[in-house]
Amino acid sequence: MIYPVIGIIVGLLIGALFPISIPVFLAKYLSVAVLASLDTAFGGIRAALEDKFNNTVFISGFFTNSLLAVLLVFIGERLSIDLYMVALLAFGLRVFNNLAVIRHHFLKK
Amino acid sequence: MKVPQIRRGQIAIALVCVILGLMIAVQFRTTNGIRNTVSMQRAEDLVQRLAQTEQEKNDLQKELEKYRIEGGSAGIAKEIQNAKMVGGMLAVHGPGVSVVIDDSKKTPKNGESANLYLIHDEDILKVVNELRAAAAEAISINDQRLIATSEIRCAGPTISVNNTRFGAPFEVKAIGDPKTLESALLMKGGVVETLGFWGIDIKVTQVTDLNIPAYSGAVHFEYAKPVDVGGKQK
Repeated sequence: MIYPVIGIIVGLLIGALFPISIPVFLAKYLSVAVLASLDTAFGGIRAALEDKFNNTVFISGFFTNSLLAVLLVFIGERLSIDLYMVALLAFGLRVFNNLAVIRHHFLKK
Repeated sequence: MKVPQIRRGQIAIALVCVILGLMIAVQFRTTNGIRNTVSMQRAEDLVQRLAQTEQEKNDLQKELEKYRIEGGSAGIAKEIQNAKMVGGMLAVHGPGVSVVIDDSKKTPKNGESANLYLIHDEDILKVVNELRAAAAEAISINDQRLIATSEIRCAGPTISVNNTRFGAPFEVKAIGDPKTLESALLMKGGVVETLGFWGIDIKVTQVTDLNIPAYSGAVHFEYAKPVDVGGKQK
């Protein structure tokens, strides 16, 4: 379980070292995308622990989730409905679910 | 058997985690940036609004230009000119009379108010009224064109015309038939005679070509709205 942690650290370092910045109006999109990838990462770890990991499902899930989340934000902004809340809620719930499963998995060991 | 699969999965997870970390870092910086650059954002907002307003202005100016050209080509120009002349928005010239009025040179007798020997707004009003009655087409006082909303009002020791103050002497210029105008002023029991009684210096001269300037101010209609001939309100 050291790889995800290393990955996050590497990503943070890249983000910190390279002065990448995005326009303000995209901040909301990115926040949803962050949550989507967080969900995917936890989902992947859970699947790996349950021996059900499938690379295709994992990667496709990552992109589909992110794109759908961004789409929801986009449509929500056009309709002036906070649709991104839906994405936040769904991903948030799943993150906690996955986290619980991972925790159980480790406790059972 | 299990180990390679997990490892493969872990590499993918690690990759996703790299992206995740990257996004978090960027998001963090952006959010921080938002907090720091609220004023920047406001400036941007203002710049944008300025550009928008400028665009609007340009559009309106183009529209105005278009209407002007259209007006010129459709022959409305003459009507506009006529209306401008009526409204006093156009400098005009023509024959008429020039009336120069100055304070009395007489010294007031004992017990008499000096006021009687000075020119008052009412005196000027009487002169202007007489000129108008004699069909003057354009009138100016000390080169202030009289228009429909012009006032001739006492303002302390001065007289205010078009919100501009003047002291004596006053020169009233009127375009019209010089003879009619002159005789209207000089008739028996008329303005000149009355004022002359108080020693007020009033000279009426016929001029073959007078220049009367346009009204230089702006006219706003804040309350008055046009009513259509059909009775519909715009």
